[in-house]
Order: sequence, then structure tokens, then C-alpha cells
Amino acid sequence: MLNEDDLVKAHRHRADLIGNIVLFCFAVIISRLWYLQVYKGSMFAEYSLQNRLRKEILKAPRGVIFDRNNQVLVHNSPRFDIVLIPQYLRDTKETIQKLAQVFKITEESLANQLKKFSGQASYVPVVIKKNATPEEVAIIETEHYKLPGVKVNIFISREYNDREVGAHLLGYISEISKEKLIPYRKRDGFSYQSGDFIGVSGIEKMLDLEVRGQDGHELVEVDARGRMKRYMEGTNIIDGIENKDPISGENIRLTVDNDLQHAAFTALEGKTGGAVAIDVHTGEVLAMVSRPSFDPSKFSKELTKDYWSSLVENELNPLRDRNIQEHYPPGSTFKMIAAVAALEEGIIDENTEYVCPGYFKLGRRVVHCWKKHGHQKVNITKAIRESCDVFFYKVASKIDIDTLSKYANMLGFGSKTGITLPGEIAGLVPTKEWKLKRSGEEWQKGETLSCIIGQSYVLATPLQMVMAYSVIANGGTLYRPYVVKEIFENSGKIHKSFAPEEISKIKLSQKTLDYVKRGLYEVVNDRKGTGWWSRGKGIMMAGKTGTSQVIKMSAEKLFDKCEEQEYKYRNHGLFIGYAPADDPKIAVASIVEHGCHGASAAAPVVRDIIQVYMKKYHPEKQSAIIEMEKKEYLAKKRIEDAQNAIKASEEESGD
Amino acid sequence: MNKSALIDFIKRYDFSFFGMCAAVFFIGVINLYSATHASDSAVLSNLYKSQLIWFGTSISVGIGVSFIKPTGLYRVSYIMYVLNLILLILVLLLGHIGMGAQRWLAIGPLKFQPSEMMKVTVVLALSRWFSTQRPDVPLTFKTLIIPAIIALIPSLLVVVQPDLGTGLLIILIFMVMVFYRQLKWKTFMIILAIGLVAGTITYEFGLKEYQKKRITTFIDPDLDAKGSGYNAIQSKIAIGSGQFFGKGFKKSSQASLSYLPENHTDFIFSIYNEEHGFFGSLVLVSLYVVLFFRFIWLSTAVIKIYDSLVPIGIMAILFWHTFVNMGMVMGLMPIVGLPLPFMSYGGSSLLMFGIACGMATSISNSKNLF
Repeated sequence: MLNEDDLVKAHRHRADLIGNIVLFCFAVIISRLWYLQVYKGSMFAEYSLQNRLRKEILKAPRGVIFDRNNQVLVHNSPRFDIVLIPQYLRDTKETIQKLAQVFKITEESLANQLKKFSGQASYVPVVIKKNATPEEVAIIETEHYKLPGVKVNIFISREYNDREVGAHLLGYISEISKEKLIPYRKRDGFSYQSGDFIGVSGIEKMLDLEVRGQDGHELVEVDARGRMKRYMEGTNIIDGIENKDPISGENIRLTVDNDLQHAAFTALEGKTGGAVAIDVHTGEVLAMVSRPSFDPSKFSKELTKDYWSSLVENELNPLRDRNIQEHYPPGSTFKMIAAVAALEEGIIDENTEYVCPGYFKLGRRVVHCWKKHGHQKVNITKAIRESCDVFFYKVASKIDIDTLSKYANMLGFGSKTGITLPGEIAGLVPTKEWKLKRSGEEWQKGETLSCIIGQSYVLATPLQMVMAYSVIANGGTLYRPYVVKEIFENSGKIHKSFAPEEISKIKLSQKTLDYVKRGLYEVVNDRKGTGWWSRGKGIMMAGKTGTSQVIKMSAEKLFDKCEEQEYKYRNHGLFIGYAPADDPKIAVASIVEHGCHGASAAAPVVRDIIQVYMKKYHPEKQSAIIEMEKKEYLAKKRIEDAQNAIKASEEESGD
Repeated sequence: MNKSALIDFIKRYDFSFFGMCAAVFFIGVINLYSATHASDSAVLSNLYKSQLIWFGTSISVGIGVSFIKPTGLYRVSYIMYVLNLILLILVLLLGHIGMGAQRWLAIGPLKFQPSEMMKVTVVLALSRWFSTQRPDVPLTFKTLIIPAIIALIPSLLVVVQPDLGTGLLIILIFMVMVFYRQLKWKTFMIILAIGLVAGTITYEFGLKEYQKKRITTFIDPDLDAKGSGYNAIQSKIAIGSGQFFGKGFKKSSQASLSYLPENHTDFIFSIYNEEHGFFGSLVLVSLYVVLFFRFIWLSTAVIKIYDSLVPIGIMAILFWHTFVNMGMVMGLMPIVGLPLPFMSYGGSSLLMFGIACGMATSISNSKNLF
């Protein structure tokens, strides 16, 4: 074996080889330096002296948002900013004088404005006028040779045609904050730049990546006076770089109908609440409106501090979508679910009759029906129609809370509907286990009483409520609600389209469906029904009123007039309905916060939306219903007339 | 230690490594000052000060290291390697929790990149492994497995940080050392084929979008979406406009107008070229080449195989950094973000080079004992 010394010697020729490779590599470096600095040097020097090559980002316009009938809801419009690049200023005083003339402001204020930015590098543009008028832009453009360093920047601002209508659904965009720049780049794999706008809520947030498009860029040469000329290919020493056109974002076709949106918005005028309409056979959202609202256009232009604080400091929280981001006790609307559970579990049947004396005793506790003197004899149809609490208290004493909750869960309560809009909440369906976990206490029987009439722990969003009623309306299918029909390119090529998605098929017996539907029909179409006064013409609506208590009230206060209470203690009014009752197409839920009664506050909202829908989509059906209602009315009248005639003749003969 | 012993020691001490590094560094720090003095940001314009502090620290640490005998280095090679791996894993874990900077470890106010030191510890571990194997037979596929693992583990850990440049650099260093240790031609060809396949797969599935773009931008600048092509062009303008003698100290227009991004780190060589021209670059490049040859010469002048491998490895670290960085700013290579030794701003890399020079000095000193 060789000793180590010899071994190192054996390595020596490879060390020489490595040395030669090193030399060769640096020979390449030196030749390249020679090429750049000596051979092409004068050209680069000239280039560096006379020209400034700058990359201008060309912003991609965001996609347009349409309603289901191709009406434009959101589009883009250009906005002009006048900027000044201090580096290219020739005669500061003269320029300021001229600009002050154009903008009709004093020279001092303009100079002050510039002073604010004196700390930053001189090549960074200073905005001197945001949102310039076309006239101002024209003057600047035509006189630009007299105004070195002054430039017109074009921005694209987002326009929401219907302003406050549907603002929550559409959402808004806002400038990305510095802190979010890097995490968002990581999250989306998208090179956000500061100053970029991103979707912050609603559809704008949900489909931000699809809608935003891809920015392009353009290389421009800036000459010594700050004027730009577009970089021309092939004419310069700089090779291998090209401009890139921006690719505009994809367009969105929603499932909502703008007319229904407007109908809902108008119906909620002056109220605080929300309304959501669903196609019962697909789960498509036809309308979704929340009030108070805001104007999303203001966010992409110049969001004033006043406007922002007026939104944030408003106790009513105008930025919140009450249909999905807020949950409420469903009140009596929950009785539909209770009725389904009771019928399906065999606790009651169509012949079951309870007597309602106006109160119910559970041990030492006495709970009251909303009707002080009671409903007397009540069966299931009447219980729904007249919203008898005692009937359901009796059911509650026989049903386990977990069984009741099972049905609520089956109909979509207690979990997100999966609409994919940002910020949806899940509501709450209590179980024994849940309570034990939450408070460490056992479930009390009395709590089932409150839950069965949709108070205490039970919480649901209006969207969940309307989905549950859709299940009854369509005969047992729970759909996943969705708002986007199609995503398509500018060329019209459809990129992605969305189809109805069944979450589950619920096996309900025909009998259950019939009795519950009968009850819901009579709520609106029977003189004694709680919704009679909001029935509307030509829609044959079925539904359920609800009043959701804001605070627990003592027995005597329970019967005080709601309207006389302090606003914040007034009950929420709810109504959930579908129409036409014999062949349901649309279901609508509405909540009016502190509206006192479902029948007077929320039911008209639902009725108005359905009326617009029927007129637009099913006019024949509507006229048929009107015809039928007329006949019914005449028949009733004839009977009454006949009865009156008999009475009169009897009286006559009695004389 | 009495007086004559001290003089004797100083006579024996090899100052050439630190001397040459200091020469490059002083050109570098003056250049750094020139590149950043006009900046609006106080942090940037004071960068040269912290660079000086880092250099002082690095040289001190390096001199300290130079007193560790090569046998001592040999003994701790594996331990240092494993410790460094643990640090790398720590960075990944902490970075994962912190959702952000995944390259740094912060010790108080100091931030440190373990991936920098990894380059040196990989050299140590490889040198020790090779020196325990039979050194008179060329490496075969079989005898390459373990050294390949030694290099691949840290390389992959660095790539997922994600720091593709440093990860590839570790592989390049490994290749130089394997070449020096001698490789069978057949094995070499097989490895080349595997490398090509693995490279393609990594490119297709393993790379982050921005890393892919850097490569595609280099091959076809039309595809540029992130401005890498733009950087390359601004860098070329800066270098080219320097011409033969340069624009002069503090006269760089590309730097002061901020046309060049990262001009204090990865693109420092462009500024140097713009201000000092072809002539200045010739001086700088020569200094680097002499430095590399000092290492190569050392590796042929020692007796032990371990002492011979370490300088070659360190030379490889310095050489690849220099070659890749220069190539990238001149548009010969994709932009991978490797610093130029002693020129670019950066504490971790300075410290690493300082320690590496300390090791070379130690080997050189011990050689003189015989």
C-alpha cells in the first residue's frame, strides 16, 4: 500500500486539471466582460446616459359580473390621475403656476402638496390630482410639452351599477395592505404588488383569483424630459425582452336576478334585515339582499375616511350580510321542523288533537301560548296555521331534544350550507351532549319547550331557513345553495359552469309532507292564518311566520304591545314562504330585525319578491291563480249571499 | 510563550489567506458604500458599517479557527455536520410555525443562516469520509453512495426552504470533490444520466413557481412575468456602460436611480463594473483567481489526504459562488441569488468565508511544522 504522501501526489494532476478549469471559467467571464464593456460598451454607455428604460405595469381589468339574464352588475371604468415626477421637472415654479390654473386651486396648496413628498426619491411619481375630469386630462395632454414631468396615469375603477343593491353579495375590492402582500403571494402564488386591488368580501373575494386576470407590462424609454416612448422591438441594443399584454379577468354569471334584487331591496326599505330567495328545484340563489347596505363603488375609487367610519361605527353594521353572516333564533318558523319530527316519529298523527287553554304546565313551571286565551282544540294543521305554542309544548314533552335536533340537522340547520361565500356561519342546533360540554350541566326538559318554538339555543341563518323550507317545497331534496352559474372568458368561452348539487335526499312520508304543506298553505290562505293579511294576489303563497325574541320576557310583559317597547328590545320578525303552493318554484326567507311580528314586517317582503318573480317567470300561472282566486271569491260570495237571503226570508217569514 | 517563540510563531503563521480575503473585502466594502450611499433609506446607506462589523467578527472567528489543528478539525467533522443539519431542520420547523422567513435563525438581535455554514460542514464531512476509504482506487457507484447521501440530505433541506441556489451549490461542491478524489468514467456517465432525469423531474414537480420562472426567463425572456428579465437587462446596461475605465467611484447612475434591484447583495458586481470598468474588473477577477490557486496549491502541498481535500472543497465553495454570481449578473446564467464572496452584503456568508479561511490557514500552518 502506498503511503499517504504518495497518494496526495497521485491527486496532483487532478488538482492541475481543476486549476485549468478555473482558469477557463474566468477566461469566459473576462471575454464576456470584454464583449459587454469594450466591444458593446459605447452603446450601453449611450443607452445608460440618454435613456431610462422603465417597466410600466399594465393592470389587467377585472372580470365583469352579470346577473342570470346577462344584465351587467359590476364593470370597470377608467379613472385618471395626474402625477408629477420631480426628477423631470424643469422649472418648478412655472409648472406649479400652470397646474394651479388647470385645476383651479391656489399655487400655495399645490406647492404644499409637493412638499409633503419632498423626502422621497425624485423618480417616484407624486399624485397631484386624483380622479381628474376629462377636460383637465385634455388640457394636460395637449400642453404636455410645456409641462415636463407631468403625466396622466390611467386607473381602472370598479363600478357597481346598482350601488347599495346586493352590495353584500357582490362584495367590494380594496387596496392590498403591505402586511398582507407576502402572505397572500404565498397563498395564491400570485405576484401581488403594492397598490393592487383585491376582493375583500362577497363574490369579489370568493372568485378573486378568477376575476383578477393577469397584469401585463410594457417597457418604455423615458427621455431626459420625462416623456415616454413605447419601446420598439428590434430597434435597440437590448435584445430578448418583449412587452406583454394584460389578460383581463374572467367574467362571472350569477344565479341572481337583478329585478328580484331590486324588489327585495325596495321591500326592505327603511328596515334592518335581509331577504334571500332560492329556486327550490336547483338551490340557485335568486336574490340575496341585506340592509342597511353600503356602496361598494366607493371602495375602489377614493374611500373617504368619513364614509369608512360611517360604516364601521354604525351600530347596525352595514357591512354584514344578514343572510349568511348573522344567525337568529328562528322563532315559530321552527315549528315546521318540529311538525315534521313529530309526524315522522309517530308522536302525533293527523287525528291528534290537543286542547290549548293558553298556557302549559311543566312541573311547577307555567309557559304561555302567544294567544292569551288559547286556541282551544288544535290539530296539526291548525297548530301550524295559527302557530299554537301549547300544541308544540305538548309535543315537546314527548320528544327527546336529540331527536328534534336530528331533524333540524337533516334539514340543514346547524352546519354551513356550503354556499362558499366568505364568512358564512353555521348557526346552532343544541343537543344534550353539546350542553354538557358547554356548561357541564344536564339538559332540562323545560329547555326542549323553548327550543321547539325556535327560541333559546336554536340559531339559524336566513339562508339555512330558506333551504329547509325548500326541502318541504320540493318534496325532500336538500340542495347546496349556489350563486355562480358560469365563469366565462371574454370570448364567451365558458370556463366553468356550476350545476345543482344535492346534499341529501330526505325520506319523508307523503303524509307528513301533505299535512305540513297544508298547514303552511293555510297560514297564508285561511282567514284565521297568521299570514292572512300579507297573502298577496296571484301567487298562492305558503309559508310560516315567526317572531324571534330578543330577550326573555316575563309573563305579563309577553302580552305588551311590541311596538311600545324600546327599539332594541323589540322582537325580530321572520317569514319564510314558497310559491305557488301547488307547484312550488321559489322559496324566500326574510328577517326584519326588531320588526316585532313576522306577519306584518317580514311577510310583505317575501310576498313582494314572489310577486315580481311570478310576473317575470310564470305569468300564465299567475293569471291562472288570479282567475281561480276570483272564482273562489265569487263562490264564497254566492254562498254568503244565499245564506243571507235565506236568513232574510226566514226573518221575514218569522215576522 | 517567550518572545522568540512568539516571533517563531508569527513567522510560521500563514497570513496569505486572510490577506487576500481582506484585499477583496476592502474593495468590496468601498464598492458597497458607493452603491448604497445615495439611498433614501438610512438602513441601506449605513449598510457598509454593519458590513465592516461583520468582517471584523468574521476575521476574529476565522483566526480563532486557525488555531484548531487539522487533526482537531478531522475529529469534529461529523459532529459539526450533524449539528448543522439539526440547525437546518430547526429553521424549517420554526419557519413553518412562523409562516415566513424560513432561512433565518434569530439569536437575539442576530440573524443567522445555517445554510451558509452547511457548505463548509459538508466539505468537512466529505473529506473525512473519503480519507477513511481506500484512496488509491477510483470511486465507483458503490463507494459513492454514502458521500452522495452526505451531500444530498443538506441540499434537499436547503431546497425546501426554499433556497434553490444554495441547494444546487452544495451539489456542485460535492461534484468538485468527487472529481478530485477520482471517479471512474463509466460511473461518471451513469451519474450524468441520472442527474439529467432527476433534474427534469425536480423541475416538473419539485420547483416553486417563481423558481421555474427564473429558469424559463433565462432560456426565453419572453416568458418573464416577474421582472427577472428586466433585472438582467438593467444589470447588463450597468456593466456595459462602465466601458474600459468605468464611470468612477460613486458615479453609478444605475444604482443611484434604483434601476438595479438588490444592488447591495446579488448585483453588487454590476455596480463595481459600472464604476470601475473592464480594467477594474480585471484586477478583481485576478485577485479571485490568485485566491483560488492559493487553495489548490495548498491541497497539493500537504501530506494527509484529509488536509488535501478540505482546501479543494473550500476552493469549490468560493469558486462556484464567484463564477455563478458573475455569470448571472452578465446574463450568462439564470438569476439564482448567490452572493459574491467578500463583495456582497451579508453577515452569514462573510462569517462562513472567514471560518473557511481559518481552516485553510490551520492546515497551511501545520504543514510548515514538518
